[in-house]
Amino acid sequence: MILVVLEHDGQRLRKSALEAIGRARQLEALGPLAGVVIGENTQAVAQEASQYLPTVYVAEVGGYTAEKWAEAAYAAVQKSGAQVVIASGGRQGRTWTARLAYRMKAGLLEDTLETRAEGNHIVATRYSFLNRVTERQRAALPVVLTAKPNTTPPAEPQGSGGVEVLNVALPTGVEVLERLSEQKKGVSLTEATIVVTGGRGLGSPEAFAKVEELASVLGAAVGATRAVVDAGWRPYSEQVGQTGKTVQPNAYIALAVSGAVQHQAGMNKSKYIVAVNKDAEAPIFKIADYGIVGDVHQVLPALIEAAKKLKD
Amino acid sequence: MPIDFSLTDEQKELQKLARRFAKEQIAPIAAEYDAKEEVPWPVVEKLHEVGLLNAIIPEAYGGLGLGMLEEVIIGEELAWGCMGIYTIPMASDLGITPVLLAGSHEQKQRFFKKLTEKPALAAFALSEPGNGSDAAALRTRAVRDGDYYVLNGTKTWISNGGEAEWVVVFATVNPELRHKGVVALVVEKGTPGFKAHKLHGKMGQRASGTYELVFEDCRVPVENRLGQEGEGFRIAMNTLDKTRIPVAAGSLGVARRALEEATRYAKERQAFGRPIADFQAIQFKLAEMLMGLETARAYTYYAAWLTDTGQPQAHAAAIAKAYASEIAFEAANQAIQIHGGYGYMREYPVEKLLRDVKLNQIYEGTNEIQRLIIARHILNQ
Amino acid sequence: MKFLAVIRQVPDGESRLKIEGGRVDLSGATLILDQMDEWAVEEVIRLQEKHGGESVVVALGPERAEEALRTALAMGIDRAVHLVAEGYLDPITQAEALAEVIRAEAPTLVFTGGQQADWDSQALGPALAEALGWPVVSWTTQIELESETQAKALHDLDEGAERVRVALPAVFTSQQGLNEPRYPTLPGIMKAKRKELKKLPLSAASKAEVLEQTIQERTRLNKLIDGKDPVSAAHELVRLLHEEAKVI
Repeated sequence: MILVVLEHDGQRLRKSALEAIGRARQLEALGPLAGVVIGENTQAVAQEASQYLPTVYVAEVGGYTAEKWAEAAYAAVQKSGAQVVIASGGRQGRTWTARLAYRMKAGLLEDTLETRAEGNHIVATRYSFLNRVTERQRAALPVVLTAKPNTTPPAEPQGSGGVEVLNVALPTGVEVLERLSEQKKGVSLTEATIVVTGGRGLGSPEAFAKVEELASVLGAAVGATRAVVDAGWRPYSEQVGQTGKTVQPNAYIALAVSGAVQHQAGMNKSKYIVAVNKDAEAPIFKIADYGIVGDVHQVLPALIEAAKKLKD
Repeated sequence: MPIDFSLTDEQKELQKLARRFAKEQIAPIAAEYDAKEEVPWPVVEKLHEVGLLNAIIPEAYGGLGLGMLEEVIIGEELAWGCMGIYTIPMASDLGITPVLLAGSHEQKQRFFKKLTEKPALAAFALSEPGNGSDAAALRTRAVRDGDYYVLNGTKTWISNGGEAEWVVVFATVNPELRHKGVVALVVEKGTPGFKAHKLHGKMGQRASGTYELVFEDCRVPVENRLGQEGEGFRIAMNTLDKTRIPVAAGSLGVARRALEEATRYAKERQAFGRPIADFQAIQFKLAEMLMGLETARAYTYYAAWLTDTGQPQAHAAAIAKAYASEIAFEAANQAIQIHGGYGYMREYPVEKLLRDVKLNQIYEGTNEIQRLIIARHILNQ
Repeated sequence: MKFLAVIRQVPDGESRLKIEGGRVDLSGATLILDQMDEWAVEEVIRLQEKHGGESVVVALGPERAEEALRTALAMGIDRAVHLVAEGYLDPITQAEALAEVIRAEAPTLVFTGGQQADWDSQALGPALAEALGWPVVSWTTQIELESETQAKALHDLDEGAERVRVALPAVFTSQQGLNEPRYPTLPGIMKAKRKELKKLPLSAASKAEVLEQTIQERTRLNKLIDGKDPVSAAHELVRLLHEEAKVI
């Protein structure tokens, strides 16, 4: 049995959940599929999930803590007898899956790009050394694996299944006092197909309004460099790079970003890299597919206009 | 197997610390302070914080008691970041050394305390407008008046002279006695009659403060005299025999930086459809730079080892100082050549290397003086 | 109180990587204390400075990892424990071995890096927490001890952040913004030599194995447009992205 842990927003499955189902179907040789929906407002989501999977477990445990998620997923594992657990590889996913893997005494394959079954093993491709090395790892079942966002085509609905409620004893230890959700307009950074990132070269936090505008015209997520978040212009959650997020969109548009190694670690696997920088020698141009050598303050407004014209 | 070139774990650690400090705290601000011709005091404070400032002061007096080899290891790293900025702690060690060599226990306690309890610098004042290398011909007068010496005269090219907590000033009680009339006096900052004027318009090493010091009836207590009257000249010469080695270390840092910058540029810059590093003309230059760097480093370490083991080292210090500064000057020169037109521009870091390292051929005894010392060593044997 | 940091030694992000026989070869790389672990070490030192008690650093890794332990000692940690193991070990197996040492130390809390800069794993902290039966707070940017058995922390989520109250002992992983690590000082380096560093040999079988490592660099198109005329440059770029790359 393969258990897919499905991310959702309380209303619908997230794209990452559909990708995780897609991943599970690629491993069907290892057994039938089941899903589990964990969190709050799980009922409607479970119904949606049942259009994709023959069995859907649901655990209404309230807001996120790693302990609750691990506990609920473990309950689903025990119920289903799953030997493989698949989840999405965000920060939260990669935290609680480690707890779960330890509890299952399972091999853990983190942030995988591709996975295939090989007898009673799973072989996974993933990046290491700050995204600079591609490696193949192999682990014997049981295995817990996380799928890197945007690496698998989202699954289509297929058949219909039943929903089964799990009773989970809620672990204590972490009490959430306050959630500081940045009201994110638009798209999440790790799921976005286009990312527009601004660097220190923009000169001021105000100049970021233009970056947001371009992002909104393109339906893109906004990213920032370490220098920008360190300067307090943008929240840490928008940081792309070694200590921020790793993204792999179809197009990564870097505006006034010089392209330090630490930044590259978060974006160097993007399908197309686009750079605007006044310094023709900036390292970002060495990994760019397209670029404009010019002043971002002049080029960016022109880009916004050109993109608007295209969308009209 | 008596020869051993390996560093101890501790030396490797302090090398790592100094390397990281240079990369994170010095290199990023070097061009800015070079342009402003200003001393980066925040860097001096951080050097103090991590223990890289005045570290040759013995442990008994609140310092770390670093040996010459440690000083050389640190010097190469800091100068890699900026030779001008390295001159600040280096010139402070130059001020400390005469007190180390000739100061009494009481003097060491009194003067070193001022340099260990907070970020503070020392300085060494020998050169005068009318005498650079001819040290015995100094004109600054020290006239005994009861428990004081009354100082009159002018010193010039004094690194840290205006920032220093105290300056070791060499003066004469009687010019006719030539070097036998020289006395070494520690003059504290704020002593009435002592003024420091910053010299502007230096070609390089612009982040270190260079001063003209003017003494007008400046009264210095006799208890601030190092050694006896007449011993000042020997104290100055013995000091320079030691402190020339850190100058060599600084040159190593510049040479290494030049090689690194040139190598990176040569791999990136394309000409005729290939990186210029593919061309022999460039490869030969890089090879020459490494030959210079490696031989100079090996020799500087040797001179440091002679010093640390208490062997005669004046000639070795002179060889290290002159040789390292010359290979470093040549390395900086070739790094500019490899960069072509860009190398001539302020935007790239290589022109500064040349401007900075030129001074290494001049201060603490010009390279011509070093050759005299070396020749004397040959002929006196 | 006792505060404990778990660290690793990794290649500097700027050093060149080589592949030898299908494996990353680190022989020419500069190896450092993992930057994210450095934040963990700094935080542990600050907690000790504020609340007293003892600070301990633990590493699981090859012989050379001792250098990273020495760096942590030079920054101010009191003593070190080194579980000596060569080669790749998955985070679950690492956690199992480390938990044994940590259980015996019985610290108030454990801090480690949010992600390892060599194996790109984020699992060690939470796996360790599971092994110890403690809560975990990952991607921590602020921590404040309320008592010996309770702390408040701010940490990053997938989107946004949250403030939590955590029962101690617990495991925390670091995130950028947590602190600005101090340099190991020269006196610290000299003192570190005399501090206790206990070595424990470890032999464990990894639950996952690395089959092959490669460095695949994408060939980029490198089509650069002169931005002297920003309007026409912008149009040309948008056209290329739309018609050629087909990404917008």
